Amino acid sequence: MFSFNPQTLKKLRRFRQIKRGYYSFLFLSVLLLVLAFGELLVNSRALLVSYEGELFFPTYTAFHPGTDFGLDYSYETNYRELKAHFAAQGGNNWVIMPLVPYNAYENNAQGGMFKPVPPSLDNQHYLGTDTTSRDILARLFYGTRIALVFALVFTAWVYLIGISVGCAMGYFGGVFDLFFQRVIEIWSNIPFLYMVIIVFSVIPSSLAIPSRIGILLFIMVLFSWTGMTYNMRTETYKEKSRDYIAAARILGASDTRIVFRHILPNVLATLVTFMPFVVVSAISAITALDFLGFGLPPPTPSLGELLKQGTANLRTAPWIVSAAFTTLVVLLTVVTFIGEAVRESFDPKKFTVYR
Amino acid sequence: MSKARPERPWLRLLAASVTTLALAACGGDDAGTTESAAVTEALDNSAEVQAYYAANPDFFIFKSIADLPADLTWESGAELPEMGSPEARKGGTEYRALQDFPRTLRTIGPDSNGGFRPLLLDDVEMRIGFRHQDAFDFIPGLASEWARGEDGKTFYIRLDPRGRWSDGEPVTTDDFLFMFWFHRSPYITAPWYNNYYSTMYTNITRYDDLTFSVTTAAAKPDADSKVLELTPKPQHFYSEVGEDFVDRYQWRVAPTTGAYTVREQDIKKGRSIALTRVKDWWANDKKHFRYRFNADRIHFTVIRDTEKIFEAFRRGDLDQSGLNLAEYWYDKLPDDAADVQAGYIHKSVFYNQRPRPNMGLWMNTARPLLDNLDVRLGIQYATNFQLVIDKFFRGDYNRLQSAQDGFGEFSASGIRSREYDVDKALAHFARAGFTERGADGILVNADGQRLAFTVSTGYQTMKDVLTILKEEAARAGLEFRVEVLDGTAGWKKVQEKQHDIHFAGFGVFLEMYPRFWEHFHSDNAYDDAFLDDGSINPERKIKTQTNNLETFAVFEVDALIERYRASADTEEMIAIANQIGNILHDHASYVPGFYQPFYRVGSWRWIRYPEFFNHKHSRSSGQLFVHWVDEEMKQETLDAMKDGKTFEPQIRYYDQWKE
Repeated sequence: MFSFNPQTLKKLRRFRQIKRGYYSFLFLSVLLLVLAFGELLVNSRALLVSYEGELFFPTYTAFHPGTDFGLDYSYETNYRELKAHFAAQGGNNWVIMPLVPYNAYENNAQGGMFKPVPPSLDNQHYLGTDTTSRDILARLFYGTRIALVFALVFTAWVYLIGISVGCAMGYFGGVFDLFFQRVIEIWSNIPFLYMVIIVFSVIPSSLAIPSRIGILLFIMVLFSWTGMTYNMRTETYKEKSRDYIAAARILGASDTRIVFRHILPNVLATLVTFMPFVVVSAISAITALDFLGFGLPPPTPSLGELLKQGTANLRTAPWIVSAAFTTLVVLLTVVTFIGEAVRESFDPKKFTVYR
Repeated sequence: MSKARPERPWLRLLAASVTTLALAACGGDDAGTTESAAVTEALDNSAEVQAYYAANPDFFIFKSIADLPADLTWESGAELPEMGSPEARKGGTEYRALQDFPRTLRTIGPDSNGGFRPLLLDDVEMRIGFRHQDAFDFIPGLASEWARGEDGKTFYIRLDPRGRWSDGEPVTTDDFLFMFWFHRSPYITAPWYNNYYSTMYTNITRYDDLTFSVTTAAAKPDADSKVLELTPKPQHFYSEVGEDFVDRYQWRVAPTTGAYTVREQDIKKGRSIALTRVKDWWANDKKHFRYRFNADRIHFTVIRDTEKIFEAFRRGDLDQSGLNLAEYWYDKLPDDAADVQAGYIHKSVFYNQRPRPNMGLWMNTARPLLDNLDVRLGIQYATNFQLVIDKFFRGDYNRLQSAQDGFGEFSASGIRSREYDVDKALAHFARAGFTERGADGILVNADGQRLAFTVSTGYQTMKDVLTILKEEAARAGLEFRVEVLDGTAGWKKVQEKQHDIHFAGFGVFLEMYPRFWEHFHSDNAYDDAFLDDGSINPERKIKTQTNNLETFAVFEVDALIERYRASADTEEMIAIANQIGNILHDHASYVPGFYQPFYRVGSWRWIRYPEFFNHKHSRSSGQLFVHWVDEEMKQETLDAMKDGKTFEPQIRYYDQWKE
């Protein structure tokens, strides 16, 4: 049976006491949950279609051509039009649309022109549309999802590599340590953003968009793992020289056992406190790359791309930049609050001047 | 994290130097590295030039004035109407922006083909003659008159004795002889020029200081333009051209025969640069030029961001701004904007007539699936450019019909670009084996292959166009994977023929007839495309670094293009051009996009244009320098803005040349 040790329980209690961080954490968890099932909330596909007595749930299935619902085209059904169509027919057929009936890609021209339209309840563009008449809420929603997932996976990989290399450096020391220190010094001096831009520009675009996002992730991890290693290395050095490690060694514990059973659990507390800040930097980095036009391949929805559009249309379409900016600020603030709370609750000195 | 750990100094040194290397490799060579102090040693290439003339006696011919044929009919174009407006006033400073500081002030060689070069060379420097921008016939520039020889390909030139370089030296025949040496020299590292000046011309004959003749390779109907549009090179300035030309001349301003030059003290690298009117310019009073090039100074500030440039214009820091994009014309500077309604900023639309850049989708037919005519036809019907024109460009632009539009009779075969039609597209895709739609609605064939292509472009501004096309194509079961690259990367990609479908347009010169060889001859598609009997060479290899973006190779078209290139008969050329046009249309490997039949500009009240605004064939409002700066009006306007006084709003449509 898995149970937390009292130390950890104390930390968790402490975390719950820090209201700002705790509520931020709850907010982010709910947000992640909502985002995970986003297709049910923000989508151009209907939640439920009743046609000729038969029920359809198009959200997660293969596409339904218009012919499935008695329309005359073979491409994907436009469910908003279908809803109006059924309503006009007045039969027993009906459609239930999600809260926001748009996806992040479709150009839904209001008034026949592709141009930014201000937020409006009537046409259900709650945050307006962007320069090519795509729904901003939908783009923000899926952009945030991609950014968050991206940031979390990024953090996981950076930690995995950072901890492995750092721990090995600290534990084995000697030539191994010396060699990796130099490697890391060189590696971390390469300007991160430029390298990502340069390397990513030679990635062939014939690959599908998810794999290109994967490659971008890989490149970013490749140039970001170094930061973690030094913390890990010093921590491991410190723990390694403690008596309990010496005791474990005398008892005949293997290197693997010492590292995984003794050193890692004692070191992780420090590392956890960094985690939210790595997430913040990952979100900022991907947004910055998108803003510069070197990030996620178009037309992937992204915060940076919206910010870019927004700054380009500051005068004529202020709703673009305000929506994107607010989202980014809220997101980064929430994660930072969590980070602060985690750091404080993991701090052994409860009463310090650094409050 | 702390880096203050004790470590061996040599290790740190090593780390530092490796990093420096890595950085240098990333940064590329910028302006700083080329300014080496080593290039001070004086050179004199005059002996080398003379030796070159002597070594090519068939090309460089020296005769006396007595040898000039006597029965020539001299033309001077002097009867053609003035250009610009007699109301134009000289003086004042015009403020403009540059997106990028010129990487060099050379007009030839690496990095020279940037946005600033037209202001040093193409739009400013005098040629022997110019096409009159309304009449299309030639007006004299450096020449006072010229004559076509009996063979139809030799042109005799008499230079205007007033012609001077901006440093006071006279323009003579020797500068034209030198021009050939210069452009054929390997030192300039410009292979295109090397080739052009070696193959387009067969000789230059010197009769005296102001009289010479140039012979072109073929007696084409527009051979006159090949000779008259030449610009001489000042031999006295380029006397140090040698191995290190590229570095040595990187920041030297060449003397010019044109109205504007760059003064040493106005070059503020990375920040600003200015053109200054040449003092006592020799063509000040010459017809066709006296009412142009009016501003005394044109100051360019480097502003990298397009939006910032526009904002600077709105503030009045810049005098003019292009408003070609619909969002600028309708949204960012709408007719009811305060400054427009107060008459401070004028908006003008001018419909011009000239060959249009052939914006469209170029399919690489060497790629799998794209070699199938039905797939290509399907793509034609699945590409909704009309929607882009109607909704994104708000109906202002027109659909192109072919890659050779705007050449009058040469592009009058009556072919029409194909409309967006999902059913027709699906029918063609079905004929190519794509009958089933996958789970996401994209067609797949029996082998499970998806009907998906990368559509790349080097224009960041065209990203929205491609995403609209992508959404529309998806309805016809076709997937476009959009790839937006920066300009250089995009160009590199197509030059290496790495693209599936590329969205681009080639800038087209004001010429008499379209060029086919560059884009459609098999010489530019493959090495040895065909065997002697016209069948496909099984071992042919794709040729890179050419403008045949479709890897287009059709044996019969090759023959037609060769006849077209050799023909001296306008009627025959028109017939062949239209025949080729039809074949290209049937081949369906180019989806014609859109063109802009006008240009639009917003200008502060003190920038004044002639009553007719500009000339028929002009490319942009500034190209011919017919506008002028009215300093008094500027003061008046600035005072009025302070006092809240307003003027009559001016939103002007010039549709006298609308097609």
